[in-house]
Formats: sequence, C-alpha cells, structure tokens
Amino acid sequence: MPESIPAPLIIDTLKDTFREARAALAAEGVRPRHDHLGWILSVPDTHQKTVLAALDKERALRVLTCSTEDEANAVAAGLWMGGEPFVLMIQHAGLYASVNTLRGVAMDGRVPIFSMIGLLSREKDKDPRESRHSMVRYCEPLLDVFGVPHARLEGPDDVHLIPEYYRLAQKRRGPAAVLVGLETA
Amino acid sequence: MAIKPEDALRAIAAARGDALCVPTMTTAPAWRTIAPNDLSVGCVGFMGGASSLGLGLALARPDRRVLVFDGDGSLLMQLGSLATVAGAAPRNLVHFLFKNGVYHTSGAQEIPGGGGVDFVQMAKGAGYRAASAIGELGELKRRLPSLLKEEGPIFVELHTGLAEATPMTAGMGTPFHQQVERLRGQLIAS
Ligand SMILES: Cc1ncc(C[n+]2csc(CCOP(=O)(O)OP(=O)(O)O)c2C)c(N)n1
Ligand SMILES: [Mg+2]
Repeated sequence: MPESIPAPLIIDTLKDTFREARAALAAEGVRPRHDHLGWILSVPDTHQKTVLAALDKERALRVLTCSTEDEANAVAAGLWMGGEPFVLMIQHAGLYASVNTLRGVAMDGRVPIFSMIGLLSREKDKDPRESRHSMVRYCEPLLDVFGVPHARLEGPDDVHLIPEYYRLAQKRRGPAAVLVGLETA
Repeated sequence: MAIKPEDALRAIAAARGDALCVPTMTTAPAWRTIAPNDLSVGCVGFMGGASSLGLGLALARPDRRVLVFDGDGSLLMQLGSLATVAGAAPRNLVHFLFKNGVYHTSGAQEIPGGGGVDFVQMAKGAGYRAASAIGELGELKRRLPSLLKEEGPIFVELHTGLAEATPMTAGMGTPFHQQVERLRGQLIAS
C-alpha cells in the first residue's frame, strides 16, 4: 500500500538535489550569483500543500508562484539559460493545462525540466490507471505519449527518485517527472 | 502615426548595450536582421511565453537587463503573466508590448477587444513598477535611456503598425533549442 511522504523529507531531498545541481553547474563554468540553492516553480498543488507550507519558512529554496503552468515552463527555460537550478511543482490538472508548453519548451527547446506532479484524488488501493477519476487515470499515459520518463513516489523509501529523475532530465536534455502518489504529510 | 515596428526595434538595438532580448511573433524576423546572432532568444512555438521566458532570465541574471518584445495577442493568451512578473518584481526587466491590434502572424485577425484593450492599465493593476504607452518613434528614442536604467519591472505599450515580415512569410529562423543552447553558452561565459 502506498504511504504519504512527510514534507520535511521532500524538502531535505530537494536541498540535496539542488546542492548536487549547483556543483554540476559550477563544474560547467557557471559562476555563483545567488545565495539560495534553487527555485521551486509552483502553481499550487493541493496534493503537495504541506510541502508548500513548509517551503514558506525556507530561505534556501526560493518559491516562485506562477499564474499558470505554461508560465512555469517558460520561466524554467529562462532560469536554465541563466544557469539556475529549479524544480516544477504542479498537479496533474496543471500538466493537462500546459501540454503545448511542455512540448514547445521542454521538448523542442531541450530544456531539462524536472517536475513533481501531484496525483490528487488517487485512490490508495488502486493503480492510477484504474482510478475512477479521469485526472488521475490519464496522467501517466499522457506522459508516455510524449515520451516523458516518469516514476511514482509511493512512500518515503521512494524519495531517491527525486534526484534520479532530476539527473535524468539533465542527461536527456528534456522533461522528466515524478508523480506524487499520495497527499504529502 | 503608428510606429513602424522595425523602427522601434532599430532604436532599441541602438540603445540596449548588452541587454538580453526576447522577441516573439512578428518582432522575431525583424530582430534577427537588426541584431543577428546576439544575446537573444525568441519565444517560438509556445505563444504567450515571451514575458515568462524573460522573467526566468531576469531572475537568473540580475546583473543583466532583459528586454521582452511581446505581441498583444500573445500577451492576452497568458495575461496572468503580468501578475507573475509583477509579483517576482525583477528590477532588470522591461516588457515592451508591440500593440498592433491584430494577430498579424496568423493572418491579421483582430484581437479580442481590438485596439481598445488598455494593457497599460492592466500592467499597472498587476503591479508593474511603471507602465506607459508610447505612440511615436521620437518619444521612444527620448525615453529609451531611462527605460534601460530605471528600476523594473517596466511595461511599455508601443502603438505600432504591421511589421513587414511575419514568421510565416520570413520563416521561423534558428530552431528554438539552438537559440537556447547558444544563449546559455554565452551567459555561462560572461
Ligand atoms: C496556443 C496557440 N494558439 C494559436 C496559435 C496560432 N497563432 C500563431 S501566431 C498567432 C498570432 C500572434 O499574434 P500577436 O501575439 O499579436 O503577434 P503579431 O503576429 O501581431 O506580432 C496565433 C493566434 C498558436 N501559435 N499557439
Ligand atoms: Mg499583434
């Protein structure tokens, strides 16, 4: 059975992910220009709201709330060109809302956009593909159509997938995503 | 008399120094002849994304001025980006809106609301530090030095005629991913 992941664990994992990303950027020749570790580009995801609440108190992670997921993807491309690390934090509805930008920016622009996508309303005892809710059901198939690699976080033991898929996005120069299976704690 | 968009872009090119530029739609073909292969990246293939692309650049590189050349139809498509830019408050961002009243690139259909849409009020309402309209080339030239210096985000609605070329007649130019790669390389090196 899937389990909820505590917000502090996700935040610590994101910090480690950004530290590693900063080291890789420095090795590439990017000069440090900021005190923070990285950016969270968010259109609030109900499923990850405990993480967003905890991020309010974090100085090392800068949250930029965007009006739409389209904006979040385009801002990400600007940050990428400027040598800044970032993560998108959105929900499945946001993925559906921003498919053209996912294609135009992350895929055609070859921008390594790593997203954390909340599967709001996902039933604990069901595979998302068998969910009663279309929002839950179509998320993974949609990512498959676009060839976006993805994995599901089904509990605290899975947080290692965050840096793994972040690195995968960098390596393939394109989008990669982890889906947050249950509401964060 | 409406400003010729090419004249506006030439005036900006002459004054911009090392500012990063983000053209889109009909400003893109004109810009690549006026300022070829330089510190620019076009918003190609994701209509409405120019200001957000510019915002990301401006936040990553506060040491650089960032100039966005937006289309009026494009801005309407992602109008919420006005609030996102204003909320992030990048001091180094100038958002030029090339207001021609139409979707020129897709065949010059009138935008919703036509020429009556007041983007200056919208930018002010969203919280830009300054927003104004310019309807004449001489005024643009006069104001450019301060627009390139004053604290942003600044919004400038330029009242323009139609461009000579569109991405449909002149082609899309360098593929987006090559533009991204090139500007990223230039920024890392500087
Ligand atoms: C999501 C999306 N819908 C529709 C289009 C079709 N389209 C291409 S260019 C364009 C008009 C752009 O108008 P504007 O931003 O005012 O720029 P202009 O051509 O006037 O410079 C439209 C509607 C598109 N590219 N993307
Ligand atoms: Mg127009």
